Amino acid sequence: MADSGIKVQSRKRLFVRLDYCIGCRSCEAACRSRFKGEARVRYAEVNETTLIPLPCRHCEEPLCAAACPFEVIRKDEQGGIVYQSSVHCVGCRSCILACPFGVLDKELLRRMAQKCNLCQDRPEGPRCAASCPTGALCFIDEGEIAEQQVGKRTTARLPFWRRV
Amino acid sequence: MKTVRKFVCDFCLNGCNIGILFDGYQYRIEYLTEEPPNYGRLCPRGNSASIVIDHPKRLCYPLLDGKEITWQQALNTIQQWLDECSGRERAVVYSRGLSPAEAATVAGFARQLGTENLVCGYLEPDNFLGVQLAGVRRAKLEEVQSARAILLVGDVFSASPVAAKFILDARYAERNSRLVVIDSIRTRQSGFAQLFLLVKPGTEYRALAAIAGILDPKLNLDVDRFAVECGVERSRLEEAAAILKSTPAGLVGAAASFGRVANPLLHSLCAQLVALKTDKPFAGFAEALIPNGRLSFQQFQEKVVQGQIKMIFWFGGLFPYSYPEVFPALSQVRFRVATTIFRLSSPLPGLVLPVVSEFEKSGSGETLWRQVSREPVVRPVSGSRLISEIIQGITGSTATESLNVPVPVQVDKLLEWLAGSRKPEPVSGYLLVGERRAIGIGEFYDSEEEITVNPADARQLGVKDEELVTVKSRTAEEQFRVKVSGAVPAGVLVVGVDAHRNRRLFSVEFDEPGGIATIPPTKVEVWRTQG
Repeated sequence: MADSGIKVQSRKRLFVRLDYCIGCRSCEAACRSRFKGEARVRYAEVNETTLIPLPCRHCEEPLCAAACPFEVIRKDEQGGIVYQSSVHCVGCRSCILACPFGVLDKELLRRMAQKCNLCQDRPEGPRCAASCPTGALCFIDEGEIAEQQVGKRTTARLPFWRRV
Repeated sequence: MKTVRKFVCDFCLNGCNIGILFDGYQYRIEYLTEEPPNYGRLCPRGNSASIVIDHPKRLCYPLLDGKEITWQQALNTIQQWLDECSGRERAVVYSRGLSPAEAATVAGFARQLGTENLVCGYLEPDNFLGVQLAGVRRAKLEEVQSARAILLVGDVFSASPVAAKFILDARYAERNSRLVVIDSIRTRQSGFAQLFLLVKPGTEYRALAAIAGILDPKLNLDVDRFAVECGVERSRLEEAAAILKSTPAGLVGAAASFGRVANPLLHSLCAQLVALKTDKPFAGFAEALIPNGRLSFQQFQEKVVQGQIKMIFWFGGLFPYSYPEVFPALSQVRFRVATTIFRLSSPLPGLVLPVVSEFEKSGSGETLWRQVSREPVVRPVSGSRLISEIIQGITGSTATESLNVPVPVQVDKLLEWLAGSRKPEPVSGYLLVGERRAIGIGEFYDSEEEITVNPADARQLGVKDEELVTVKSRTAEEQFRVKVSGAVPAGVLVVGVDAHRNRRLFSVEFDEPGGIATIPPTKVEVWRTQG
């Protein structure tokens, strides 16, 4: 294929290595500590002994943004970040209902939805990934995600399929 | 330019490096990705460190029976109280949150007051992980990372999430790496184990004694008796022993939680006995190791009950607020002086003095992996003082005295204690077990209003998820929201033990050997809350 001459910047994404997550909720603590109690990372219990973080996917076509009646949630097309302008949020919960992954907390805080913006104020990346004690939650290039061999590793390693 | 200051976390013995940054508005955490041992990774407690510094509930004035007074008035009150009692009627209690130098100053203060009543008030079970069994070596970080057969007793991953990284790396390093976990409930950690031994609550040390007996028959331990008492088949204990024996590079790690361990001393020593018999290093994942004073807590409490103590000074931690069940006894003491960082929701009667937090003072100490020294990263909060300044204000000078250096326990002594250990009493009804969660930081993130109930018990009680039950123990009665889960065995209920309302349900008992303070699982009555 001919080179179009357009350089596409590689995007970074939050990625969960399930076989390292110990369910300590340090990601949640990092988020709540920085954002005055906002839990922008939720978690889910897969089974009795498996608890995993549910970070925002920053979807290609975010339904939360489409559902927002005041266009408070927008997508930064260059960085791929779906962010919220907290000043204008009226707390209508439309985004919470629209999210297909259930990552937005149903509880409002300070009458606003709690929406992850991948810690835009921190150039090194989101705090949840930086603080993860086991390195289960990482912030990596989209290209590197394939190298993580998700399916191969989780089935090859005993603990994960024992746990689920 | 904003400067990131390095602080060695004091919330547990892992000694993680934390960056503290002031952005002109608030203190924030930065992640020092180049600094060992944690390389920027932090547990929930470490992540919340900056909150302590400028928390709105920091105490800035001395309080007398809940009313704000000046420091001069506080010191005058102390002098007045000191004049009304003799040296023998005074007691000095210390807990966690003191640097070794401060602990020595507190011990010297007791001498200055003319009292022998110097007491360690840190009753958490993990303190016993510092008691050493003769001949056992402490694990180095590189030994954890290169371990290929790992035995964990108690929930090490919750006690030290950062150490979980080293253990999981070792666990995944080779296909034949093995992780064995012994616990009384199914935790997240148990999900990573190839062999998980679910024991009856509070009987972890009996399972360990059985494994040690299998490893070395010369110890003459009654393996069958201990296997029955812990509720694990002998064959599974033999499997654990075989895993540990077959792989030279390994680790034995232990954690001990409030309301979970029946005898923390034997819990620690039996884990070390297995380490000794498999020639593996031992790591005790504790939050703090505080040496004993001149008087045991039991002796101290007896003196209080008998009215021999008229004045108490307690330094560090939130003692006795952390042990509400001992507070009624201590409230008999006429004059009480306590130090605290935060303004408590229920004011302590007596004199409460604001002290600086770990971030505002220097100190040195030993973590699990290295020697560390700490420098203050922020200026002390207005109105708070160093403990040495308070003592200087009371006596006009400070003196230091070293605390007891713990003597290693000999194997013969441990075997004697094991032979004399009482059989566990059969439990009719429900047993309440405590769970120390990684996210538990007081009640900051989780109010711990949930109780985990086995599905069969839930059916028997007639409750479903989210419904309310009332739990009544010997010391308190509380309501909880039900969470039905097979993670807990039938007859066992689990609550978090960071919330003070939950801690009140457990009682401090004094158990053999040596009259040590234990906070074991407790019998409770449970019923569905009406209305």
